[in-house]
Amino acid sequence: MRHNSEPKYGRYVFGFYLLLFAVWQLLFSLRLIPDYLFPSPLQVTRRLWELGKDGLLWPSIQATLVRMAIGFAIAAGIGLFIGVFMGMSRVVNRCLQSLFLGLQTLPTAGWVPISLLLFGLSDRGIYFVIIMSSVAAVAIATSDGILHIQPIYLRAARTLGTPAYAMPFSVILPAAAPSIVTGIKLGWTLGWHGAVSAELIKSSIGLGYLLYMGRELNDAAQVLGIMVLTILFGLLLDRFLFGLIEQRIRRRWGLVSPT
Amino acid sequence: MAAPVKLSLTQVTKTFDGGGQKVEALRPVDLEVREGEYVVLFGPSGCGKSTLLNMIAGFEAPTSGTISLEGRGVTRPGSDRLMMFQEHALFPWLSVIDNVQYGLLWQPGLRFRRGRRRQKALQLLALVHLEDFADSPIHELSGGMKQRAALARALAPDPKVLLIDEPFPALDALVRAKLYDELQDILVRTRKTIVSVTHDPREAACLGDRVVVFTDRPGRIKTEIQVDLPRPRDINDPRVAAHATRIAAELKEETA
Repeated sequence: MRHNSEPKYGRYVFGFYLLLFAVWQLLFSLRLIPDYLFPSPLQVTRRLWELGKDGLLWPSIQATLVRMAIGFAIAAGIGLFIGVFMGMSRVVNRCLQSLFLGLQTLPTAGWVPISLLLFGLSDRGIYFVIIMSSVAAVAIATSDGILHIQPIYLRAARTLGTPAYAMPFSVILPAAAPSIVTGIKLGWTLGWHGAVSAELIKSSIGLGYLLYMGRELNDAAQVLGIMVLTILFGLLLDRFLFGLIEQRIRRRWGLVSPT
Repeated sequence: MAAPVKLSLTQVTKTFDGGGQKVEALRPVDLEVREGEYVVLFGPSGCGKSTLLNMIAGFEAPTSGTISLEGRGVTRPGSDRLMMFQEHALFPWLSVIDNVQYGLLWQPGLRFRRGRRRQKALQLLALVHLEDFADSPIHELSGGMKQRAALARALAPDPKVLLIDEPFPALDALVRAKLYDELQDILVRTRKTIVSVTHDPREAACLGDRVVVFTDRPGRIKTEIQVDLPRPRDINDPRVAAHATRIAAELKEETA
């Protein structure tokens, strides 16, 4: 685990997962629950292998990832834009903060029905759910980051001759970067929830769709397998894409001791 | 001293509005700073000397009176009156050299000339003996090194007047003494015009050509003490100490 500052823990983490699978296998072997409801790790792996061979798995993963890449890029852009305004104006902040905090209490799946009504079964509806699920988190983190910038940086920037138009990109966004990255990580996770929730209901491809299909076919192995995959991809991107960016920023700022 | 006047303050006052109550911070101040001169504003805390420095920098507007640099009125912050803060205030998202060349970005003619900016920044880093740390992140520098980097950054846009708010308060005595030497060395080499603020009479005597003593709040100029000692001055030189005693006596008389 490269992101971990102490690589020796990697072994324990690996062991932990091994143990987790062993317990799963053990529970299965005890046959407390019939195997069509509670499949073994082996059955789940085999089912995923079959899905892969049938050409259903990779296109689905790809579809979900592409939707996320596009949807989240739009969401992050909107969130940053709104967040900067919220961070620079107390009035805008007061007005939007309660609204966004309120929206965040809505479970991401709660956006699906309205998206169905607005967009029908089209892909645009999935983008809508992704964006609505993640914009608030990015905007709030951005504005919080900006509001908590140490005034000394702004004063230094001004005395060094920074013109007003250059302040957002030269000083304000970089100074708020640690908080913004945290918000983007959170926004990504929420968007990921939203994407899979939306795909459950209104798609013919994607991880959420495979989950839905599994349930329709009473295929517990497929349901569990896709769940594991969804968790895995969410975790991988969180750790290795955003995690590494976050780590880099924190290191540069001296917020963690360099390894 | 026949050098031309750089900075001039005429009848400058400051009154704060504290909850409907007017608080007078500064009585009318007249002050002229000549080219190449080092003027120290000295006084008890709360005497308005930092407020005065903030007004010269353009962070605050005077309640009345005018401040002008080379005949032009001061209205907002700018790198011609560059201020160094008590905290180093280096940007943690930039490397040491990017901090130093930051101010050059906004200089006419340098915006799109990366090579020129970098070259100038390297010269300044050499001046403060940090050339080996050009690409280091800020947090890897020690306290004294950070102050030196901040000094290099402040010198980069070639300010007409350098304003220093309590030059090196957060450093231990040894590092401070070294920084005094370096600051004087740079001062002698660049003949910078400097206005700084302190409440330490030793520091005032060691650094200033002229020490302006302020009264307690509401502040006004009580007297000015000329320090005609050769540079570089050693902070432990008995002649510096003698001046420091005189400066401190003025203050004691004031607070008594």
